Amino acid sequence: MMKSLKFQNFTAFDLLDISFSPGVNLLIGENGTGKTHVLKAVYAACDITKSKKGFAEKINDVFYPSGKQIGRLVKRAKTSSNGSLEISRAMPDGKVVSIKLSLTSHMLTPNKAKVTGATKIWLENPFESVFIPVKDMMANAPAFRSLYATRNIHFEEVYADIIDRAFLPALKGPTEHQRSKLLGILQAAMDGKVITKNEEFFLKNKQGELEFTLLAEGFRKLGLLWLLIQNGTLLSGSALFWDEPETNLNPRLMQTVVNILMQLQRLGVQIFVSTHDYVLLKEFDLATLEGDQIRYHSLYRDNNTSKILHKSCDTLADLDPNAIDATFGSIIDRQVSKDMGGLGK
Amino acid sequence: MIVVADGYRFNFKDAINVFKFDETDPASQTFHGAPMKAVDIIAELSDVYLFIEVKEYPASYDPDAITGEKACSEIDCQKRPKHSEWLKNTLKYKFRDSFLYRYAEDKTEKPVYYLCLLNFDNALNSVMQKNLRNELPVGKASARWVKTLAQSCQVLNLEAWNRNFPKWPAQKVSAE
Repeated sequence: MMKSLKFQNFTAFDLLDISFSPGVNLLIGENGTGKTHVLKAVYAACDITKSKKGFAEKINDVFYPSGKQIGRLVKRAKTSSNGSLEISRAMPDGKVVSIKLSLTSHMLTPNKAKVTGATKIWLENPFESVFIPVKDMMANAPAFRSLYATRNIHFEEVYADIIDRAFLPALKGPTEHQRSKLLGILQAAMDGKVITKNEEFFLKNKQGELEFTLLAEGFRKLGLLWLLIQNGTLLSGSALFWDEPETNLNPRLMQTVVNILMQLQRLGVQIFVSTHDYVLLKEFDLATLEGDQIRYHSLYRDNNTSKILHKSCDTLADLDPNAIDATFGSIIDRQVSKDMGGLGK
Repeated sequence: MIVVADGYRFNFKDAINVFKFDETDPASQTFHGAPMKAVDIIAELSDVYLFIEVKEYPASYDPDAITGEKACSEIDCQKRPKHSEWLKNTLKYKFRDSFLYRYAEDKTEKPVYYLCLLNFDNALNSVMQKNLRNELPVGKASARWVKTLAQSCQVLNLEAWNRNFPKWPAQKVSAE
């Protein structure tokens, strides 16, 4: 389970020190406040436990700086500068260990970067992790994997990774009750189940088989979640990273998605979600029961210094600043001004 | 002019008159005394009347208040309005009954602005405001109307209220 993340002069951040919930972590903030960077950094640290890739190389592949020059991940400064990211994790025995990646702005390749900390223990305890990016890749899966493997195409590695995870075959043996229940909820919502043929995904139901290219993007998202649960990627002890689940998702389906995510949290999956969406955020608030573990993280720019800061809290009501609510507040203010002129001013 | 209602204290600095409209004390000069629903406060300014209703939710939820009858069976309970419907209806009928009461007082010569102070976030208040404006209704609802019932309707939380109405600061009494 991932415990915390510390950035120093990394990407857009001067300093960030954030502690995670073992359950659900919701990141909100305006564009350019680094939500996706947090998700990617923690995901890279999780992924290497299975892929055994070098931490610096994985970070470089998921962030994909221009020319793959890893030094470009150091926060920009007029002179040469240093940056780092450090991630802590609670091991199954409760012991907390960390790994740290140190960079300088002039580094060109990952092999020049320094990785320190408990790297050996980190890799000795593998677990599954999955990153669902904003852009849907399920409809474009055919041939993408082979193209990505053989050609230098400009895609962050999270896109190749998610397709790999989706293509994993189903787990052996019967599906246990809890997973079966979650699959049932998703099947009811998207009216079918997902099958794979020649690297192409189809939604199968009584009417036949519908290729993903013809399927609404919202249903593709549910289909992806179905695959990840069905093939055992999302089991107890795994981690799910989902960048803006609301994209192309009908607000009415958000309750289903949040219900599934909260159930996964109860099964022991650690979840990281970034969002700009009020409905999604509110659905999490409404779905939270006693005993659930959820933390809201607000990333925002300081008005005076423009530095990115963060605040974390355990209830939506305490989230401040709340960029989503502030937007609605601004709409209300303009409506009052339009309707009431100067009254009360 | 200061008035306290439903746990909130308001100071209407530019008001000609402010009073607790749903006053239940028979000894008070502003005792309501009619079998009608009533908004919490009325403030008279030089050119307008403000009707103000305060609702803390869900503490104020009383689904039987609309019909005036107690639900005594499960079927009765199922027929009760949903929370959002109940709240919207409560705010709507309070306004309409108050307007009728003021008509009988011959106090509807100025446009009426309806301000609801709720403890929701801004998004939920936006939804409530949209529905309430349609149903009050705000403005002239028909080509035959030459007057309005409500000139405007705003649904705000305490933070938005104080941001938008610095001449009418409000605060929770318990927070003093």
